[in-house]
Amino acid sequence: MTTQAISNPAPGFGATLSRLSRQREYGVLALLLLTIFAVSLVNHSFLAGGNIRDILVSSVPAVIVACGLTLVIVMGEIDISMGALMGLLATVMGQLTTPAHANLPVAVGIIVTLLLGAGIGLINGLLVAYGRMPSIIVTLGMLTVLHGVNLTLINGHYITDLPAGLRFFGIGTFLGIPISLWVTAAVVILAILLVRQTPLGRRIYAAGSNPEAARLAGLPVRNLKVFVFMLTGLLVAVATVVSVPRLGVIESGIGQNFELVVVTCVVVGGTSISGGRGTIIGSVLAALLLGVISPMLIFLRLGESATYWDRAIQGAFILVAVLIDHVARSRRGTH
Amino acid sequence: MNTPFLQVSGLSKAYNGIPALSGVSIDIEPGELHALMGENGAGKSTLIKCLSGVVRPDGGEVRVNGVAVSLGDIRASETAGIVALHQESTAFAHLNAIDNIFVGREPRIGPGLLDRPRMRREAQALLDRLGEKIDLDRPLEELSLAQRQMVGIARALSHKSGLLIMDEPTASLSARETETLFRIIRQLQSEGVAILYVSHRMEEVFALSSRVTILRDGKLVDTRPIADVSRDELVKLMVGRELLAEESRESTVTLGEVMLDVRGLTRPGVFQDISLSVRAGEIVGLAGLVGAGRSEVAASIFGVDRPASGAVSIAGKPLPAGSIPKSIGCGLALVPEDRQHQGLVLPLTVGTNLLLTVLGSPSMGALRSSDKENKVVADLMRDLSVKAAGPGIAANTLSGGNQQKLALGKWLAAAPRVLILDEPTRGVDVGAKADVYRIIRQLAKDGMATLLISSDLPELLTLSDRILVMSQGRIRGELTRAEATEEKILALALHTENSSVKVVA
Repeated sequence: MTTQAISNPAPGFGATLSRLSRQREYGVLALLLLTIFAVSLVNHSFLAGGNIRDILVSSVPAVIVACGLTLVIVMGEIDISMGALMGLLATVMGQLTTPAHANLPVAVGIIVTLLLGAGIGLINGLLVAYGRMPSIIVTLGMLTVLHGVNLTLINGHYITDLPAGLRFFGIGTFLGIPISLWVTAAVVILAILLVRQTPLGRRIYAAGSNPEAARLAGLPVRNLKVFVFMLTGLLVAVATVVSVPRLGVIESGIGQNFELVVVTCVVVGGTSISGGRGTIIGSVLAALLLGVISPMLIFLRLGESATYWDRAIQGAFILVAVLIDHVARSRRGTH
Repeated sequence: MNTPFLQVSGLSKAYNGIPALSGVSIDIEPGELHALMGENGAGKSTLIKCLSGVVRPDGGEVRVNGVAVSLGDIRASETAGIVALHQESTAFAHLNAIDNIFVGREPRIGPGLLDRPRMRREAQALLDRLGEKIDLDRPLEELSLAQRQMVGIARALSHKSGLLIMDEPTASLSARETETLFRIIRQLQSEGVAILYVSHRMEEVFALSSRVTILRDGKLVDTRPIADVSRDELVKLMVGRELLAEESRESTVTLGEVMLDVRGLTRPGVFQDISLSVRAGEIVGLAGLVGAGRSEVAASIFGVDRPASGAVSIAGKPLPAGSIPKSIGCGLALVPEDRQHQGLVLPLTVGTNLLLTVLGSPSMGALRSSDKENKVVADLMRDLSVKAAGPGIAANTLSGGNQQKLALGKWLAAAPRVLILDEPTRGVDVGAKADVYRIIRQLAKDGMATLLISSDLPELLTLSDRILVMSQGRIRGELTRAEATEEKILALALHTENSSVKVVA
């Protein structure tokens, strides 16, 4: 009587879906490898080192910010102000450091950018956690404000002549690997460490899984929320620093639709929109998968209209991912 | 006598000025199993919440081993050794057993890293102490309810708790799982852990506890050694209040045809083999404790859920299962318990709410006619004596009682033949209560067949022609108006299947 058989979930369709939604990383990884393999059969140059590097570098902003947004969505919230924030941060960083504007040291520009990113995230978090407003509304409002401020600051101009120190973060390399990839790797590793190996990470998942139980366990649920929004704002700033200087020119269109890309990564990567479930690695793999799509379309030589399919495919990924999540959850609920 | 582990004195708590707990004092000895009993709303949950620090009491004092505990602070209560296993699920379904046990007080290496090996070791040790084999790496949602509860107990033990509060711990356990729980409870007691045990199940209380404290209407009735009290006495102490002089309605009502007929309705695990009938002009009460399955029966009759088996017919015609529109079409109406979420569209106006059930019905025509609508609304507001500035104001500005009248009135517009009321006066003030009673009686007089679900025993006794009593998903008995008393209802409501609990003291 001291032992009891551990009941396995009934096998079958529901259990399969359940497992699929819980271990989406493997599915995403398989799809990623399959895509790369298939495209490289058609066009061998797809696997060339330069191309792989370009794909990775272009995925940098999505990968970095997805690490933060995963935790926001795990807590049952959402942030859609990331694109507008990136646009504003790019302008501020450019105007602080270029000779034509403030001409401050690059280090100052970067520090201000990071602080501003974290600060905007902090405001989002405070409004959601302590203002008790729905995060979709708060961040929609923030998106609009940030976009408006950005347009005012940039005033229809381009910012060029980025100082070499800043350009370094975009195009510099260390041991032959772009700086941006080093930074991205560090962010991903730290995020995984945070989630798996720190009390803070575990508490975020607990509060996302069952907010009321978290409160009864004495967890500071609201402060955890503020933290994940702030972290996401900070990571938007990090992504801005390592991706925008690569372009050499800063204009008002930077960051456009970026929030949609990141939300897609997180949701496709297996993070449940109802909270409590999701992994950093899943979001990262999904970001790489999405990053492969548009070069894939080019390499398959589908013609001019091919690039337009990029967004349609991303959208379809979201719908399929949410559907799997939803069906799996309702199956789970029945047994 | 030893010094008590826990000394509670004069604990009081009011919600919105309504006292939920007034001046309650209890002592609990180390290793004692102290039962806490009382009707629904007697204040048990509030007492638990105050002790475990979930809510801050308005007054009173809690001492552990003679030292005052800071109130309204979950951490402080836990540190003092008071840990509650709450009735509602307090587990983190997505996390595994280890994380569930330690979240909030994780052992660390250095400043910010988890000491994973130590967590695993200690979790294993705690579960071994409970004699349970649980896969530490599985998310809790994949474990059985009993296993989740063991994890909850392990979490409590990890606090080195001196007092474990258990709120209806056997409610969702099978007989075998219950036995395991009892074995663990005895083991904890032998280790000196005191347990405050809340249960409606008499067998358990008599088998396990050494003393019992009875609450009623937020006040302490008495604390007695279990050996000095009988079952009947216990029920009497719980009910206690002077039975209200029955201002019963005229029993001369002539009953008509059977309007609602339910045969063998079953939803496995929720309710079994429910059969009942209600005649035109009759009010049938459905009594039972919270969780007995009453609201679920109502939901299945109305078509919110689809029952696994059984049949419902309205005025002799079979009702298709699982379709709310068809149920309404057949003349069935349900006024749900949770009026704020299920009964009313609060931001809309009083008028719109009253018209919700009839918009699009043949009587109103295909196109909306404001003349017709205004008349329906004006008639209803007058009949129901809704106290509102006018039909154009938002429903959420009304008092609870007037909201309840709207929830009722909404259905009257649809002119149903069978009305199911779920807790029609919960949270309603005395004046509005009288109005609601008057409306229910008037409807019955006009031939409405009414099924009245209520946890308010005087209300059931006042309104019902017959009372059916449910417990654990089954109808346990029927009482006529003449024979029904609060004691009899409670005795039936506390009925448990003897086979389900075998207790070896």
